[in-house]
Amino acid sequence: MTSIITPEAPSASTAMSASMLASVDVDPKFMKIAHDIDSLLNQLSPSKAVVAPPETQVLEQQLFDALAAVKILTSQVAMHLDRELRQKFFQQLDSLHDVQEWEPGDEPIREASFATFLKAILSINPARRPGLGLSNTGNLVAAWTTGRDRLTIEFQPNDRVRWVLARYRDTDEPARFAGQTHVFDLGEGLAPHHPEHWFSHEERSDEPSQ
Amino acid sequence: MPVDIGDVKGHPVSEQPYQQPPITEAVIEIRFSEPMPTADLAKVSDTFKSTYPHEQIVTDVSVQLYFRHDTQNTAQAKAIEKRGHRRSSPDQTELVLLWPAIFVVSQLAPYPGWDVFFARFQRDWNTWKRAVSYKNISRIGVRYINRIDIPVEGRPVTHEEEFLNVYVHMPDELQPLAAWAVQGQLRLPDMGCKLTLNSSVVPSPLLGHVAFVLDQDIAKDDRPPQNDAEIYKLLNQIRDKKNSVFESCITDKARRLFKP
Repeated sequence: MTSIITPEAPSASTAMSASMLASVDVDPKFMKIAHDIDSLLNQLSPSKAVVAPPETQVLEQQLFDALAAVKILTSQVAMHLDRELRQKFFQQLDSLHDVQEWEPGDEPIREASFATFLKAILSINPARRPGLGLSNTGNLVAAWTTGRDRLTIEFQPNDRVRWVLARYRDTDEPARFAGQTHVFDLGEGLAPHHPEHWFSHEERSDEPSQ
Repeated sequence: MPVDIGDVKGHPVSEQPYQQPPITEAVIEIRFSEPMPTADLAKVSDTFKSTYPHEQIVTDVSVQLYFRHDTQNTAQAKAIEKRGHRRSSPDQTELVLLWPAIFVVSQLAPYPGWDVFFARFQRDWNTWKRAVSYKNISRIGVRYINRIDIPVEGRPVTHEEEFLNVYVHMPDELQPLAAWAVQGQLRLPDMGCKLTLNSSVVPSPLLGHVAFVLDQDIAKDDRPPQNDAEIYKLLNQIRDKKNSVFESCITDKARRLFKP
């Protein structure tokens, strides 16, 4: 008899195949081999334990699971993220997923969208925190407003971003620009439009970002 | 007493050598000889509600294959599913994981330092003991997962040996490596423990960076201590050892990334 443990076994360190073997009559040599193999398995850590699918789809749990996933994802880069900024983002995310305000049919935040957001924020490192929203497919949307000028970025899965900006010059008609790029190229895509206009405090008018 | 010095990002930390420690997860795990019934586990989970308000049910599915040489029907498969309770702080950085035969306390980044983490473990261990009658401990382990993010800065290749002392050595004609992973296990006779060390290339969550993981698991499964004083003593010994293991596995160039 042998025992195979899936690599997704969630305990923090060695798996339990040896203990399973102990429940049946097995040659001690096999027990030793199983124990040695177990101890070499690279286990999932507690933060990556597989969440069981809910028996009934309760909205509150669905929203909590989505929030938990993106907060755990944030912990992966927390050493590079300002503590206050992290807390503010969490407050915004909690607010976006308020059960009382939730519209039926909306999708909670997608983890893959949030991963793209984290990459962008840590790369751009804007001095001003954006307002956050969700698309109806669960993509995170960040918006910066300076006066009437507005920059909106939708963070999509697979490191894709879509941005739209509206900037007023001397007329009442804004100049509008849009782009869709890999998150790595976001800075380059925005550069001709002087993104510091939205990202830095120096450019800020008396109308705060959301 | 923890010394709250605060790091460059404003995280409260107890005294530790780095302002930006690369620890993504720290884990203390106590494993028991006998599992507890599912209903009892749910009750134990409830006792943690005040400190960890959120709960998720987690699952662990494994498969046993039986091959018997004395019958025609040689193979049988049996799926085994275990369910556990993961409780968490609102910001998800503090976790406690309760399996039928395993008690786990985990700290995600930002890492507050050993003193803070250890104090939390002691608090939660006391909660666990109050809720559960004596159980024989079969294993005590501490695991630290570090991810070292290295800015690429225009380099076509990042040489791991500039940052790590644990890596795969390959002949010059087989360079550069797109990915690698190494695992080593050694006994720590002075503590009666075993160290399992994993290191590998992983995707960095940061743009323009490459990342290496340094994952160490130090555990005692041969006559682990059964009383608190000895358990705490062992955990503090493991703490010192994991620090020295980590320092021996990295170079000064890596240390500079963590802002000593």
